[in-house]
Parts: sequence; structure tokens; C-alpha cells
Amino acid sequence: MFCSKKKSLEVERIVKANDREYNEKYQYTDNRIHTCKYNILTFLPINLFEQFQRVANVYFLFLLILQLIPEISSLTWFTTIVPLVLVVTMTAVKDATDDYFRHKSDNQVNNRQSEVLIDSKLQNEKWMNVKVGDIIKLENNQFVAADLLLLSSSEPHGLCYIETAELDGETNLKVRHALSVTSELGADISRLAKFDGIVVCEAPNNKLDKFTGVLSWKGSEHSLNNEKIILRGCVLRNTSWCFGMVIFAGPDTKLMQNSGKTKFKRTSIDRLMNTLVLWIFGFLICLGIILAIGNSIWENQVGDQFRTFLFWNEGEKNSVFSGFLTFWSYIIILNTVVPISLYVSVEVIRLGHSYFINWDRKMYYSGKATPAQARTTTLNEELGQIEYVFSDKTGTLTENIMTFKKCSINGRIYGEVHDVLGQKTDMTKKKEAVGFSVSPQDDSTFPFFDHHLMESIKMGDPKVHEFLRLLALCHTVMSEENSAGELIYQVQSPDEGALVTAAKNLGFIFKSRTPETITIEELGTLVTYQLLAFLDFNNFRKRMSVIVRNPEGQIKLYSKGADTILFERLHPSNEDLLTLTSDHLSEFAGEGLRTLAIAYRDLDDKYFKEWHKMLEDANAAVDERDERIAGLYEEIERDLMLLGATAVEDKLQEGVIETVTSLSLANIKIWVLTGDKQETAINIGYACNMLTDDMNDVFIIAGNTAVEVREELRKAKENLFGQNRSFSNGHVVFEKKQPLELDSVVEETVTGDYALIINGHSLTVYDQWFITLFNIVYTSLPVLAMGIFDQDVNDQNSMDCPQLYKPGQLNLLFNKHKFFICVAHGIYTSLALFFIPYGAFYNVAGEDGQHIADYQSFAVTMATSLVIVVSVQIALDTSYWTIINHVFVWGSIATYFSILLTMHSNGLFGIFPRQFPFVGNARHSLTQKCIWLVILLTIVASVMPVVAFRFLKVDLFPTLSDQIRQWQKAQKKARPLRSRKPQTRRSSSRRSGYAFAHQEGYGELITSGKNMRAKYPPPTSGLEKTLYNSTSWIENLCKKTTDTVSSFSQDKTVKL
Amino acid sequence: MKRKSQDCPSRLPDNSAVKQQQLPAYRLQLSANKILFGFFATGVFCLGVGVILLLSAKTIKEVEINYTEKCANCAKLRENAANFDKECNCSIPFVLPETMKGNVYMYYKLYGFYQNLYRYILSRSNSQLVGTDVKDVRNCAPFKTSHNGIPIAPCGAIANSMFNDTIILSYNLNSSIHIKVPMIRSGITWWTDKYVKFQNPSFQNLSSAFAGTTKPPNWPKPAYELDEEDPGNNGFINDDFIVWMRTAAFPTFKKLYRRLHRIEHFTEGLPAGSYSFNITYNFPVNRFQGEKAVVLSTLTWSGGSSLFLGLAYMVTGAVTWLAFFSMLAVHLRLRERKMFFLQQ
Repeated sequence: MFCSKKKSLEVERIVKANDREYNEKYQYTDNRIHTCKYNILTFLPINLFEQFQRVANVYFLFLLILQLIPEISSLTWFTTIVPLVLVVTMTAVKDATDDYFRHKSDNQVNNRQSEVLIDSKLQNEKWMNVKVGDIIKLENNQFVAADLLLLSSSEPHGLCYIETAELDGETNLKVRHALSVTSELGADISRLAKFDGIVVCEAPNNKLDKFTGVLSWKGSEHSLNNEKIILRGCVLRNTSWCFGMVIFAGPDTKLMQNSGKTKFKRTSIDRLMNTLVLWIFGFLICLGIILAIGNSIWENQVGDQFRTFLFWNEGEKNSVFSGFLTFWSYIIILNTVVPISLYVSVEVIRLGHSYFINWDRKMYYSGKATPAQARTTTLNEELGQIEYVFSDKTGTLTENIMTFKKCSINGRIYGEVHDVLGQKTDMTKKKEAVGFSVSPQDDSTFPFFDHHLMESIKMGDPKVHEFLRLLALCHTVMSEENSAGELIYQVQSPDEGALVTAAKNLGFIFKSRTPETITIEELGTLVTYQLLAFLDFNNFRKRMSVIVRNPEGQIKLYSKGADTILFERLHPSNEDLLTLTSDHLSEFAGEGLRTLAIAYRDLDDKYFKEWHKMLEDANAAVDERDERIAGLYEEIERDLMLLGATAVEDKLQEGVIETVTSLSLANIKIWVLTGDKQETAINIGYACNMLTDDMNDVFIIAGNTAVEVREELRKAKENLFGQNRSFSNGHVVFEKKQPLELDSVVEETVTGDYALIINGHSLTVYDQWFITLFNIVYTSLPVLAMGIFDQDVNDQNSMDCPQLYKPGQLNLLFNKHKFFICVAHGIYTSLALFFIPYGAFYNVAGEDGQHIADYQSFAVTMATSLVIVVSVQIALDTSYWTIINHVFVWGSIATYFSILLTMHSNGLFGIFPRQFPFVGNARHSLTQKCIWLVILLTIVASVMPVVAFRFLKVDLFPTLSDQIRQWQKAQKKARPLRSRKPQTRRSSSRRSGYAFAHQEGYGELITSGKNMRAKYPPPTSGLEKTLYNSTSWIENLCKKTTDTVSSFSQDKTVKL
Repeated sequence: MKRKSQDCPSRLPDNSAVKQQQLPAYRLQLSANKILFGFFATGVFCLGVGVILLLSAKTIKEVEINYTEKCANCAKLRENAANFDKECNCSIPFVLPETMKGNVYMYYKLYGFYQNLYRYILSRSNSQLVGTDVKDVRNCAPFKTSHNGIPIAPCGAIANSMFNDTIILSYNLNSSIHIKVPMIRSGITWWTDKYVKFQNPSFQNLSSAFAGTTKPPNWPKPAYELDEEDPGNNGFINDDFIVWMRTAAFPTFKKLYRRLHRIEHFTEGLPAGSYSFNITYNFPVNRFQGEKAVVLSTLTWSGGSSLFLGLAYMVTGAVTWLAFFSMLAVHLRLRERKMFFLQQ
């Protein structure tokens, strides 16, 4: 059962492919996973052990033990054991159900099928039967069964693409590539079956981005790193098949190693509650001591004289010892003061809330048929107290869909959306007619409607043609034709995908490329350009260029990049156009679009040849190679002629702007964690209203280490405090530093996500449990005052439930101040509950002249008053009366009376005369008018001050929610939250909208031809050049997007 | 995507009112006017009830005679436990200035007797008292068994300390004629106590039912000989015993002893005149510095209520009214400010 326990600590893993016998001697775990905690046999001991690690249960157990000591025992044992058993059973049932579902999901996962190479044949095998060293075949869109060493794939050079969303939440594809020696194996089953490489690697660990190992095969050794490993939990994408050898299986996989024990999260309320419970416990001890001293004195002064009627018990012949025993007795009697059952009630309430969250149709996402899911029940009330929301960018804020929205060509904007609806649809129709005739491969989903552009294209506007040609030429997209003859673009960055697709739809179709040529279809004519040089993108250049020779022999440099960078490199003659375009760019930026400037340059043959030679020299150079290349790039990318700019929309998720606005209004700070570049992050910040133009200074913090970042943040903060004291309102976009760090935040984000949704819908605050404390104080303090009184209050727990059904409550806060008010209130109520009956019963006879002031009648009177007072209190706190509230409030009173009558019935007494000595009491007491008068007075006296207090509070110090309620009442109907339309910020902003999710290294990949299929002629001249540094491209490619940490914080004044 | 959502329509949460938290609900909005009216009405109610209670409490006639000191010689005798078998009688004359009309009840009243002591309350055996097992003396410490180990019946501290004075009221028509006022000893217990909670062991002969047990140390006679006049009033179902066994909540308490049998001279109640209590003084109170008294009292509709409840109602009513007026003042003064808020 203890599946994860290992006999010895593994230091190094040695795995031999296709050799189960060899691997068996190391006793590696197989691929079966157990996330379940128990089985039928171990459930009881383990679960009980776990449960009795909780303070509450230990406390109950302690009381139980105390009660077993006859000298101390003041209550019968069942007063403690009943709630304890109840709580333990309830928890056990919940744990058992949870574990049952875990068993089920384990089973489901363990029984997934995968193709395993066994006995030189591919056989279907269940996941759980996959062993370390097995070679398994994966197909496109399949989940990876275990941590695999990639051997070969359908793609050239053993590349394969994986999506790691389950591991790190990132939805963009990552590239893995096999060793060249293994990628030659291809899909040849017989050769794969003979593969007998031995992998020596690190022991299982949880580092998702690190792997070190060595593959020994055919006498040579090949070092392995993370780029050769496909982890369990990934999904294979864009790769029709691949083979891999299992290195880590089941619980040893990095995924499972990461999903360690879920830490129990404590909410701030939990912490406060713990503190208060400790205080109360201290209070209880004090009370016990005071009462014990009192007892000693009494025994000394009065009790001694009473000895005739009540001898000392053996062994307690002096009053001090009696006091000591009394202390423990009081601890037992007053144990209900410590609101241990509060934890249980809070738990139940939270569970109820999480069900409401799951059931809420308003939080149902029909697009994916997904209802909201509260993954943890422990954090519900925190949802009402959120201060910071940590959000992922891609997938959470944005849909990760880029659409080409607008462009500015030669000083003219295309793609402007017109305000008049009729006009717009009209144009769409026209566009369709025109669009189809021009571009046969028109993408029907292409949302770009502007027939002016179409006209310009048809008219043959050279600038427009050049613009589109550039879009079709200057990129790193790979094209592919599927069986149906449709062009499929494999894009590395979605921005480029959007641009190339736009060009395609506008008649400039990128058809194919080889390392040396690019073929495009220009308005129906196939044109092949010679690719002379590829000036790759990187984060410092912020631009990329291609140098091509067109069929006419002209050499052209096409460049796209950040406006700020490109504008510096323009030919002086562009000045007018620059001003115009830059206005357009500001406009685009103001709309939150991601912009790129587009420019070209005509090069003459001779100049280019000289330059190219220098570039080749630089490439061959050993020293300062990169610097020299960069210098050459700078050299040629100048005197550019501006063509225009593109504007791509990083489509936001539905409702993001509204949600962000609501969150800001709720004074919730948002941190966005993203692996994107700074520009993208800023752009998204503006797009979703997180950053606005009225924020004067955006602080950009760039630091590579935690210390640096901290230092810079501190500086920025100082700066801010100098200017404006509203730092607390700032939203921070924080760029991801280390993937591991993000992982640790991911869990938080899950909660954050649904908080986001909830807050997007309503600003309901779940704080009802506060009353539960009230309740406990109510039910326990009278007991404290009464001392001896016990049995009849136990059924109070049923009272805790109405709180579950009060969604309309807004303003109850739980803090120490409130707590003390509660305590004072509790003490007052308990005094009223005790002294009113005391005074009324003193020296009084019943209606039939009988003795009425007996202890049992007194107890019944107090218990009844207590139950009714508590119910009235709850009723007053309930502002939203549904049928369920009625059932619970009236039901609890009814339950009380029925239980009372049952416990006091003749029948029960007949069976257990010892346990039910209150026989006949209810019948006798509750028929007395004066007892009802006492109860009534007690209720009035306990409730009226509370009502008065609240009335005055609302009157004198109305809270916001009080006002809202009054306002609502005045309005008589609730108004929906005003949704804020994204503001259009026309050219007020002078910032750049540049944001380009592109990675370095793809240029090299393209010119090397590595990722191209064999059907293309193998590259000749380019190959030598790139073989020279053949490892660098893939390293660049796989390098973590940003190792620079930069973040910017920003002050924001929210107008409330 | 669309197909998927059609495939699993079950994932859409039910549109039931409970799950969507849309149960028809009454929104409890306690407006200022309602609250103020509530306070006013509560005040009226409390004052009304208070007045009624006070007036009816006034109609109660009560005579209490403390005989701790008046029977000093008997008290002295009882201080010495060795004199337990010596009888001591004591007569206390008193004058009833007015007729006590209606039912008159006679109580004995003890001061400073802690019948509510925790260990005292527990020191009894309900299963013995219900007659199922006469030898069951669990919980009866420190009065479980006699010195030679025989179980005590009825066991326990409560039973052992039973009040055992006999009080006889005589009406002195004139100096020579003393009429014993007829008293009923039945109907002084709860029905459930008499017929459910306390039962004698089922034997033909009561004394044989108690065979194998011994009397409590303080008792002069065994349980089956408590009432020599009425054989049906012996053992655990003896009325006085049952009354004593219903322990009081406070150290000062009065317990019903006898009811006036309204016949002959006493059909209207107790006529005014001179009376005397003839008390057989058995119960020692000096040892715990307590006192004892005998009380004659009439009742009213709410029982033998004291002034406290009526006064408490009056006070509560007054305070509620006070609160009402101050709240009204605050509310009126702040109304303008509130209107301002509403407009915001």
C-alpha cells in the first residue's frame, strides 16, 4: 500500500531499453499510480491517526479521558463521545468518498491504453503495465504515459511538439528533439526492438525543466538533457507519431513527484479563529482556576458544616484537593465554551458554499460545457477577502488567438470598424464577393472587413502590394499541405501566424519555403524569391528582416519590428509618412492592439555582395562572432522605406475588461504572471484596462535575481511614495522568473481563477460563519453561568445550518473587535438567561402549589429560553428568508421541543432510568404559565438590547452595505452591475503598441533547413554554414523565453 | 466544441431554485419605523404584564413562621446525634389576621440547605427508586451501604437527609377547642414522579421487598414504615419522600408539605383566627447553620408568584420605552443625513 516508500534512496538510475529482466533488478516502480491514500484495510487506522492529529479531536479525546476519572467526571461520558464520534464519522465518510473517487480516477488513468513494443511487436498495453525501459509509441494528441526519452518521431530530425499545459499551464507548443543517432531509427519496429541503449541518469525528482543523463549505445555515449525528454502529462501535438523509451514511470515521473501532499491551506479566518480559540481556552483555564478557588473557600467555610449530609469521598479530605478536582470538573463542564464545534460548523458551511459554487449556472461556461468547480472547500470565505489576484496571462486574460485587425499602409488606415451597423454589414458582403475572386484560399473565418483594401489591391497600389508581400515573405512560418491540399501553417509565434494568414487572405499567399527560396502566390501568380539572408529576431534588435532577390533580380530587404526601433532607421525622406504612421500606431496602441512597423529597403547588388561576404566572414569568426554579426545587421538595416504598420489583436477572453474593472473597483490588486516579454505584458496591461493612460509612470523593474528585483521594487516604491501615496492601488505585471516558481503559484491561481469569475459576477461576500461563532458563544456562555447544566443544549448544532442559506448578507466582518462585542453580548445574554429565571423561581410555587424551583425545572426553563433566544437571534440575522430558513429556524425549535419531550418521556425512562432522570419534567414545567412568562421575559431582555444596538449603529454609523440596502429598498429592484465598455483612447497615448511574441533562433532553424521535410531539395551552400553551429539554434529555440525578470509596477488612482 | 456541449448536457447544473439560490424569499427589511413600533409595543406589553403580575401577586396571602429559634430546646437536643430516638415536640401559636381564601398550601422551608450541591444531586439511585433493583446502590456514595456492607434503601445523600419533621396545624376556635385542620397529603407530587419515577419493588409484602437492605443512617424507621396511617404511602412512593427527592435549585427553598382539605370550617379556606403548629422536631438544621420555617400560602392564576417577575417585567418595559424614546430622538435627528445618503 505504501506505494511511494522506497527501500533505499535512489542515487542514479540505470535503464536499459527493451530489457525488462535487466531493469527488474533495480526494482523500479511500474507505471501504476496511486493518488489514493487508503484501501479497505488501512482506511480505519490511517484515517483515525490523521484525524487525531487535529486539535479539535485531541481536545475532545482529552475531555473524554478526563471524564473517565470518576473523581473528576462531571458530565456523563456520552456528552463528549457523541459529538466526537459524530465528527470523526462525518470526516471519515467524507475522506472515504474522496478516496473512492481518487481510486476511480487512478483506475481510469492506470487503464489507459498505450502502444508498447513487446517482443518486437507493438502491443496495446494498459498504462499501469508499462515498465521502465519499455519503448512506447505515441500518436498525435495523445497523453504521454510516462517520462520518456524521445527516440524518434514523424517530423524531420526527430523533432516533436508537445503541449505542457498540465505541467506548467502553458498552452504554447514546445519543441523536443531526439538524438540524431536515435532519430534514424524512425518507425522501424525491428530496429527499435533491437535498440538496447542504456540510459544512466539522475534519480527521480520534481524538477520539470532539468534532466541530466547519458545514453550509451553502440559503444558511444550521448549526453541527454531536458530537450530529449517528454514528461508524463504532456500532450503530443503536430507530430503524427513518436517513439520514446520509458525512463521514469508512475510515481517516479516528474509530474507525480510534483504532486506531493497537498498542503492544508489556512485562511486568515482560520488563523484568527485559532488565536481566538486559544484565548478562549485561556479564558476557560482562568475560569476553572477561579471556580476551583471558590470551591475551596466554600468547602472550607460552608461545606464543612454540611458534612453530616455529604461526607468527603475517600481520598479528598481537604478543601484544597477538592478545589483541584473541581478545577478539572469545571474544565469538563465548561468545555463547550471553547468553540471546537465551530470548526465543524465552519467546515460544513464551506462545503455548502462550494456546492453552491458548483451549482451556479451563472458560472457555467457553455463553450466548454464546464461548470464552476470549487476544488477546495477550505478557502471559500477567502473569496470575500481577496486583496490580490494573481493571474496567468495566456489563456486567462487572453484567448491566445491573434487576429489581424488593422493596418496602416502608406499613411492610410485599413480595417477601421465603422460605427453604423448597416454600413458595416454592407461592406462585409462586398468584401466576400471581392475577396473570393482575389484569393482562392480565402479563410472564411478571417475577420478583416475592409473593401477599400481589396480595392487598393485590385487597383495594384504598389505600396499595398509591397506591404502584403513583406508580410508573406518576412517571417519564420513553415507551410505544409495536408492531404486535402489545404495549406497549413506551422507558426512559432501567433503574431506571425496572424500576419501571414492576413496576407494569404488578401491574395499574397505564402506557399512554401526551402532554406534558400520562398515561394508565394501573388494574386494568383506563383513567384519564387531567393532568400539571401535571414536577419533573425532577438529581444534587443526587436526586429527581423529578410533579404530576398525577386525574379526580376532586384534585391530587397524586408523588415518588420518595433516602431521605436524601425523609425530610427528610416530614410529621412520618410518624415511625413512617419508622422502619419506614428499617429496611427498610437491609435492602434490605444485600442490595445499589438503593433509592428513594416519597412523595406532596396539594395544594390554590389553593396549586398560586399555585405554578404562580410557576414560570412563574421560567421566563421571565432572571436566576437555575435557582436560582429549584430554590427553587420545594423549596417544593412538602415535607410529603410516605411511601408506602414500592422495591428494585431491578442484576443481577450470574454468579459476580461469588465472583470478587471470590477476588481479594481473592489480594490483588488491584480498581478499578472506571464512568460511574455515586457512589451507584450505592458500591451496586455493596457488592453485589459489594468494599465490606463492616466497612470503617469510605469515603473519597469528589470532584474535577473530575486535580490535585484527586490532592490528595484524597493526603489520604485520609494519613488512612488515621493509622488503619490496610492501605491497600494497599483497593479503589477510580474514577469515569470523561473518555471518552478510559477508552478508554486499555479495552485494559488486556480483559486484566483474562480475568484475572478465570482467577482466578475457579483460582489457577494461569504462571511456568514461569523454568526456561527455568535451561536457557539450563545450556547456555551449560559452553560458557563449555570455551571452544572448540560444535557439540554447539545442539540444546538442544528442551529448552525441556517447560515448556509443566507446569500444576501454583506457586511459582517470577523475581527477581534467584533469578537469582543460578541463575547460581551454573550456574557450579557447568559446573565439574563440565568438571573431572570433565578429571581423568578426564588421562593415560588407552581400553579398547583407544588415546588417549582427544583433544579430540573430550572434547567428546562433555561434551556428553552436559550434555544428560543438563539433562534430569535438567528432570525434577526437572517435578512433573506427562504423556505429553507423557515424550515431550519422553526425546525430547530420544533426539534428542540420534540427531543425535550422524548428525553423526558416515560418510555425512555422505563428503559434507561439511569440516563434519563428528567422524566416528566417537560410535561410538568411547560404547562406552567409562569414558566412561559419567565421565558418570554428572558427573550425580550436578551434580544431587545441587540436590536437597539444595531438600530443605532445603522442609524449613526451606516456602513456602505447598509446604505446600499436602503438604496436597493428605495429602488425596489436590483440594478445590474454597470458594465464598462472598453474606453477608446484616441491618440491620447504616445506609447508604443509594440509586442511581438517571437523567439530567437527560428531564423537559423529555417536557413538550416532542419525542420523541413525531405521532399524539399537538401540545402547545399547553406548547410555547411549552419552545420558549423548546428547545436546553437536548438538551444536558442528551447531556451527559456525570458531569463530576464522585468516587471513594472504602476500607481493607479481608482475613482470610486 | 458544440458537439461536446450537446454530448454532456448533464454538466450544466440543474436549474432548480435551491441550487441556483433563487428560492422564493422574503427579504426581512426591518425599517426604522417597524423597529421603533416594535419597541413601543414591547414596552406596552411588558408594562401591562408587569402590572397584572404585581396585582395578582398582591392577592396572595402568605404566612411564614420560622421555628428554628422558637423550638430552641428541640434544636439543642438534635445537635447531639445520640439523641436521635428521643422525640421532641414543639408548639408554635400564631394568629391569622385575615381569612386565607381558596386553596391553602402548607410548605416547609429550609434556609442554607445546599440541595443543589453537585455531589449531593448525583447521590441517588434511580434504578433503585423505580423498583427494578432494590439493591442497586451505584452512584450513591457516600451512602451506599451500611457499615456491615448491607445496601441502603433508599440509598444516597439525598434520601438520607430527608426532611422528617411532622407539622400539624390546629385551629383554635376558642381557648378550649382546638381543631386539627384537615390536610391532604396526596397530590403534592408530580404525577410522573408518583407513578413513573418512583415505584416500589413488586412484592406482595413491602417489608419483604426491602429484605436484604437497610434503612438510611439518619432515618429512624425503614422506608416501608414511613406512613403508619396509610399503608399505600410507604416505601419509595411515599409522597413526602418523593417531594424531598426532587432536589431544589437554590439553597433556600420551600417544598409542598400538605394541602388544605376544604371541608367543614375550612370550605372557604383558612378562616382568620388563632392557630398553632404542632411540630415534631426531628430535622437538625443547627449543624449547618441553616434555618427552617413553615409556610402557609394561597395561590393565584400564575401559581405562587413572587413580586420579582412582575417587577422585572415593569423594569424591562420601562427600559424598552426609554430605549424607544432615545432611538426615536436619534432617528429623527439623523433623518436629514440619511436622505442625503439615499440621494448619493
